[in-house]
Amino acid sequence: MKRITRLRAGIAGAAALIVGTAGMAEAQNVTLEYWVYSDFAQGEALALQQEFIKEFTEAHPGVTINITGKGDDDLTAGQVAGAASGNLPDVFMNAQSVGAQLVEVGALANIYEKWMAMPQEFRDQFDEDALASCMPRPEELYCIPYTGFGSLLFRNLTVLEQAGIDPSVPPATWDEWFAQMQKVKDAGLYAIPDETLVFNSIAEIYATSGSSETWGFNWDDRTTRIDPAIMAKVLQKFVDMAPLTSGTSRNDQATKDLFISNQLAFHTVGPWVNPTYEEAAKTSGLKYDFVLIPGDEPGKTGGIRSYEIVGVAPGPNMDIAFEFATYITEKQQMVRWAKLLSRYNANAAAMADPEVSDLPLIKVSVEAARGAMEVAAPYFIDSVPSCYNSTVIDYASATADGEYTPEEGAQEMIAELNSCLAE
Amino acid sequence: MTLRRYLPHYLMIAPFMVLFAAFFLYPILSGLYYSFHDWNGVKTPEFVGLTNYQKILASRDFSTAMTNLLWYISITVPLGILVALGLALLVDSFTGRWANFFRNAYFLPVVLPAFLAATIWRWIYAPNFGLLNMILGWFGVPSVNFLNDTDTMLYALIAVDVWVSAGFNMVILLAGLKNIPGELYEAARLDGASKWQQIIHITIPMLGPVLFFVFTYGFISAMQVFDKPWLLTGSSFTSYGGRRNALLFPVMDMMGRGFGEVKFGEAAAYGFLLTITIVAVTALMFGLRAWRERK
Repeated sequence: MKRITRLRAGIAGAAALIVGTAGMAEAQNVTLEYWVYSDFAQGEALALQQEFIKEFTEAHPGVTINITGKGDDDLTAGQVAGAASGNLPDVFMNAQSVGAQLVEVGALANIYEKWMAMPQEFRDQFDEDALASCMPRPEELYCIPYTGFGSLLFRNLTVLEQAGIDPSVPPATWDEWFAQMQKVKDAGLYAIPDETLVFNSIAEIYATSGSSETWGFNWDDRTTRIDPAIMAKVLQKFVDMAPLTSGTSRNDQATKDLFISNQLAFHTVGPWVNPTYEEAAKTSGLKYDFVLIPGDEPGKTGGIRSYEIVGVAPGPNMDIAFEFATYITEKQQMVRWAKLLSRYNANAAAMADPEVSDLPLIKVSVEAARGAMEVAAPYFIDSVPSCYNSTVIDYASATADGEYTPEEGAQEMIAELNSCLAE
Repeated sequence: MTLRRYLPHYLMIAPFMVLFAAFFLYPILSGLYYSFHDWNGVKTPEFVGLTNYQKILASRDFSTAMTNLLWYISITVPLGILVALGLALLVDSFTGRWANFFRNAYFLPVVLPAFLAATIWRWIYAPNFGLLNMILGWFGVPSVNFLNDTDTMLYALIAVDVWVSAGFNMVILLAGLKNIPGELYEAARLDGASKWQQIIHITIPMLGPVLFFVFTYGFISAMQVFDKPWLLTGSSFTSYGGRRNALLFPVMDMMGRGFGEVKFGEAAAYGFLLTITIVAVTALMFGLRAWRERK
C-alpha cells in the first residue's frame, strides 16, 4: 500500500514537473552554464549528467546546457569572481559551508518563491533537515540540497582478524571501539589515522559525544556553540588515540594506501572513498566493510553530515536555470544517480525507493546521516573566518601532543574561537 | 610635424601599450583603488581610507605570515642557488649524452605539476612509513611528522622548494658557465690554480650578472610562495597554513581574505603591501649592486 502511495506521489511529482515546465517548452535560445564538482564531470557520473541534460534540453527546445567540472576551491573562486564580473554560471554546485560567501556576493538567488510555487509532491520529496539547512531565515531559500554524506567507519576486516577481533560485530560504543583500536596497536598495526589533523575528522570524533546543538556558531552574538565539557572529553579521546594512529590525516593518499595494504584498521570518512576500496577488493583482495561510527552510548552515532547544494544565479536565465535545478534533483534522477554511484543524496523519496534503499552503502549512509552532526551549521548566514577551523585543529593536535590538558585545551580553544568570530 | 614624423612608431608600439594598459595598468590601478575601500567584489565599494592597511598590519596572521616568509627567504634563496650552482658545475663537467641526461633529469621537477610534486612529497614525508622516515629508521631515528611538527614544517617546505627550483636555476647558471671563456681556466691551470681556486676566482666572478639575476628572480618568486605550502598542508579557502600557521605565507593569507572571507578590499591592500615590499627590496638589491660596481 505504502509502495503504491509512493508510486503515486512519484508519478504526480513527475507529471507536475512536466506541467510546470510546459510553459517553458516553447522554443527559446538559451545557453545555461552548469558547474559541478570535478568528480561529477568524469566517467559514468558525467555520462549520467549528460543524460539528464539531454532529457531536459529535448523537453526545452532551444536550450543548451554546458557542463563544466571544477575542483572545490576553483568552484568557489569562480563563482565569487563570476559574481563580481557579472559572468556567473547559471546553475552550479558547491558546499553548504561556503553558502554564506556566495549569498554575500550575490551569486545565489533567493529561490523561495519559485520553490513554493512547485507542487507539494515535489517539495515533499526532500529531506526536511537538509532543506531547512538551505533556509537561513523565513522566506529565504538559497539552494536545493543535492548529494551529500554522513561519515562512515570503514573497517579493514583482515587487520581486525589479525588483531584477534571478531569483525562480525561492529563496535556499538566508543569504549568498545577504543578497545579494538588498542588491540590493533598491540598487534603491531595502525588503528586509525590522526584525527586531529583535519577539521572534519575532529568534528567526526566530537560527534561521538556531542551533537549539532553543541557545534557550529551562534551568529547572533558571534560565539561558538562548542560545549567546553564535551570538548574536554573529546580532547581526552585524542590524547588516548595519539599512540594508536598512523600519523597521516584521513584525507591523505597514504592513509588509503595503508588501509588497502592491510596496515590500518579504521578509516572514518565519507562514502567517496568506497570506489577506491571497492576496486582494491576486486584487484588485491581487500576485505572491508562500512558501519556507523559509534558514539558514547549504544544507539548514538558519531560522524558528520553535509550536503552539496545546487544553486541558481540571479539573472535573465534564472527561471529556466531553476527548472533545470529542480529537474536534476527530482526523485527519478536522484534514484538513477544513487543506483549508479551508490551515493546518498538529499532526496528522501529517492533514498526510500526500493531500487536503492537496499543498496548497502545507501542503507548505512541514510542511517549515518540521520544520526550525524551538522558540520558547520547554521549555513548561509555569515562567512566563517579562516581562523576558526585552524584554531580547532591547532588546539586538538596540541592537546593530543600533551601541550595542554584536555580541560585547558578546551577552555583556550573556545576562548580563541570566540575571539576569532568576534574579529 | 614631430607627431607626424613619429606617428608610425607610436602606431607600432600601440598594440603593446593597449594590452599593457588593459591587462597590467588597469588591474594595478583598480587594485589600488579597491585597497582603500570596503568591497566584497559585488557591492558598491565604500571608502574606508587606510583601514584595510591598518587591519592587515595589526592582524596576527599578517605578522605570522611575514615572519614565516622572512625565515623561508633567508634559507631557501641562498640554499637554492648554492645547490643549483653545484648541479650546474657538475653537469658542466660532463659532455655529450651524459650532460644531456643530467640536465634533463635535474630539470624534470620544474615541469612536474605542483599538485603531483606535493603528492609525491607528502608520501615521502609521511610519518612512520614514509620513505624519509623509513631511511631515518635504519639509523635509529624515531619517526618525524615533517608536515605537522611546527619545528620541521618550514624545512620540509624548503627541501621541496629547492628540489623544484634547482633545475631552473641550474639551466640558467649552466648557460652562464658556457659563456666563460675557456682561456681563463687554461691560464689559471698553467699558473697552478686548483679546481676550487678556479671556481672562487674565475667562475663566480664571471657568473656575477647571472647570479644576480638568479638571486633576484629567486627572491621575487619566494616572496610570492603559494602553491607548494598550500598543497603540502592540504589547505583550502576555509583553512590554510597548516598546524599553528607554520606554513602560512602572505599570498595564502591574501587569497583566504579574498575568496574565503570575500574581503576583496583587504586582499587588494595586502597585495599592495606585498608589492611595495618586493619593489623596495629589489630596488635595494639593484642599488647595492650598482654601488658595488662603482666601487
